[in-house]
Amino acid sequence: MSEQPDVVIVGGGIAGASAACKLAAGGLSVVVLEKQEAYKDLVRGEWLAPWGIREARRLGVEDCFWDGGGWEIREWMTWDEAVADDEVEAVDMTGFIPGFGGPMAFPHHAVCELMSEQAVAAGARLEMAAAKITVTPGPRPVVSYGTPLGPRELRPRIVLGATGRGCTVGRQVGITMRNSMHHWGGGMMVEGMDGWPPDVQAMGTEGDVMFMVFPQGYGRARLYLNFPTVNKHRYRGPGGVDRFLAAYELKCLPDHGKAVTAATPAGPLSVWPSVSSVPEGPPLTEGVVLIGDEAGNADTVLGTGLSCALRDSRTVCDILLGSADWSPAAFAPYVEEREFRLERLDFGASIISRLHVEFGPAAVERRRRVRRLMARNFAAQVTGLLNMVAPEEVPEFGFSEFFAERLFRETA
Amino acid sequence: MMEKKTVHVNGVDLAYVDEGEGPPVVLLHGFPDSSYLWRNQIPALVEGGFRVIAPDLRGFGDSGKPQEVEAYGMQTIVNDVVALTMELGVRRPHLVGHDWGAAIAWMYAFLMPRRIDHLVALSVGHPGVFATPSIEQRAASWYMLFYQFPGVSEELLRRNGWRLFKEIMGRDGDHDRYLRDLARPGALTAGLNWYRANRSPASELRITRRFPPVLAPALGIWGAGDKALLEEGMAASGKFVKGPWRYERIEDAGHWLPLDAPDQVNKLLLGFLGTERPAHEERRPRRRL
Repeated sequence: MSEQPDVVIVGGGIAGASAACKLAAGGLSVVVLEKQEAYKDLVRGEWLAPWGIREARRLGVEDCFWDGGGWEIREWMTWDEAVADDEVEAVDMTGFIPGFGGPMAFPHHAVCELMSEQAVAAGARLEMAAAKITVTPGPRPVVSYGTPLGPRELRPRIVLGATGRGCTVGRQVGITMRNSMHHWGGGMMVEGMDGWPPDVQAMGTEGDVMFMVFPQGYGRARLYLNFPTVNKHRYRGPGGVDRFLAAYELKCLPDHGKAVTAATPAGPLSVWPSVSSVPEGPPLTEGVVLIGDEAGNADTVLGTGLSCALRDSRTVCDILLGSADWSPAAFAPYVEEREFRLERLDFGASIISRLHVEFGPAAVERRRRVRRLMARNFAAQVTGLLNMVAPEEVPEFGFSEFFAERLFRETA
Repeated sequence: MMEKKTVHVNGVDLAYVDEGEGPPVVLLHGFPDSSYLWRNQIPALVEGGFRVIAPDLRGFGDSGKPQEVEAYGMQTIVNDVVALTMELGVRRPHLVGHDWGAAIAWMYAFLMPRRIDHLVALSVGHPGVFATPSIEQRAASWYMLFYQFPGVSEELLRRNGWRLFKEIMGRDGDHDRYLRDLARPGALTAGLNWYRANRSPASELRITRRFPPVLAPALGIWGAGDKALLEEGMAASGKFVKGPWRYERIEDAGHWLPLDAPDQVNKLLLGFLGTERPAHEERRPRRRL
């Protein structure tokens, strides 16, 4: 006789573990399957927008973030080859949502671990090192997986697929994605960045890299680089870590980026194709609902993946806890809201990528032009709002082809 | 994890660790710690032939957390220690304190000379030195002033993911644990009440009587990396000690000596406790009838 929990969550990341917390606290029997033996740094997203923090609070998992090392970032600097030194401005990020401060940078794996502890304390069962997970959809879905003690099978009422960009569950149950790739990305944790102001996140483009720095306090920071697909293996192989750090030696950064290049690696370096995936239909089927990046995601440059994951988690949990009807039709509000949200984020992310992750003289000239336009007309900065407030709160004109056209064609 | 017991003494539930057999040693932690601070010392002392008693002082860990400021006066807390040791049948323990625990230990030592064997103070010197702090020490103690505002300090410390608290604490002590401890109901207010009851500007105005001398043999240990408590506090404490006085400075440690330099602290404790003789009490002239 197989175990028959109410819910099986495949993937113990931010989406999965937060859902487990909420559902277990709501009285459902929950099993979480996580493929890692122990949570460790896999170089995932580590930035949560103010609206994402609000989602975390609504889900009752906010403390896991702060206790796990979450660090409020307050200012955003753009240091860029297209911005003259005397034009660099600090954007105050602390005032976008009343009751919430700036965005948060946090160590992903530490937060997942605390969240899974909270889920277990609420009554969920956490199965680490779950291998070869297969999901068969249906009114009574079947989940089988391997453990060090042999194979296991679960027959829950519903499965939440939360395996991230790997789409392990989605691919098995026939949910197809429209994928596109604009550039490559890489990331690494560093420490000893004592010369960097801990309140300040920075982004910018110079030469053929777009850099990001997200401080996590105490001289630690998560670094990400985005770069063109040509020469995509530049940070692979021997000396890759050194080349990655050396990429921050940029004329646009204060002191030519010495604060970063002198830092010490404090985690693995990971490099990936920056793919965005939009599902071709609803991200669910009979007995299976996808959440988080697995349900579709925008380009990582936008940094809203985790905020979305928490919104997904909250929306789906509210449906599961609010009604006995768990049929696909019951999730219509989730599907509808998510489609709307991803459409906006995907649109915004594509603007950001075209603007900041394209390289060469024409791209530099385009960034200069757009900056002039934004300086003249504040409303043109609308896409920047997408990082801070929930997608539905961003004015609609920012998502029209007309706006994009104007942004990119304007000859000022 | 060492097993904790609980007793109700002096109007509060006190959780404590009680391990080993031999001459008793009482370990007193500070802010925002608990008996967990002593996890590296307890096994070493037990191994060295001591009975170790480490309470969670009121307001911390698993002990009671009264919410009134008045419940955290130094004398009340000294009485907690007296009541706890009496309850456990301990007459004359060695006392080892860190941070607020050191302040308590000093006070216990001069108020109850017959109820203490040896005294070890970590990081915090005699209250007599702290009664007239230098301007440098006042600057280093800025947070004590900040902690004075009921409700307001709590909110500002908690705001935006405990950002200010994290900046004050840095990565010292058990920094990755404090937030979860302080998230327990009433814990933050209870911890701050220690400062409110004993470190308010008003308390500085209160007339302090001359401190009775510490007769017990006393050892002061200070870490050169301590940013909150300056060396003057410990180095100048000797003048309040009438018994044998020894001062040790540990170079590669900050404020949290029991965690930063566990081996050196253990070695100093084992080499000091029970090795010296106290000063004689002043003979009071017999009153003639």
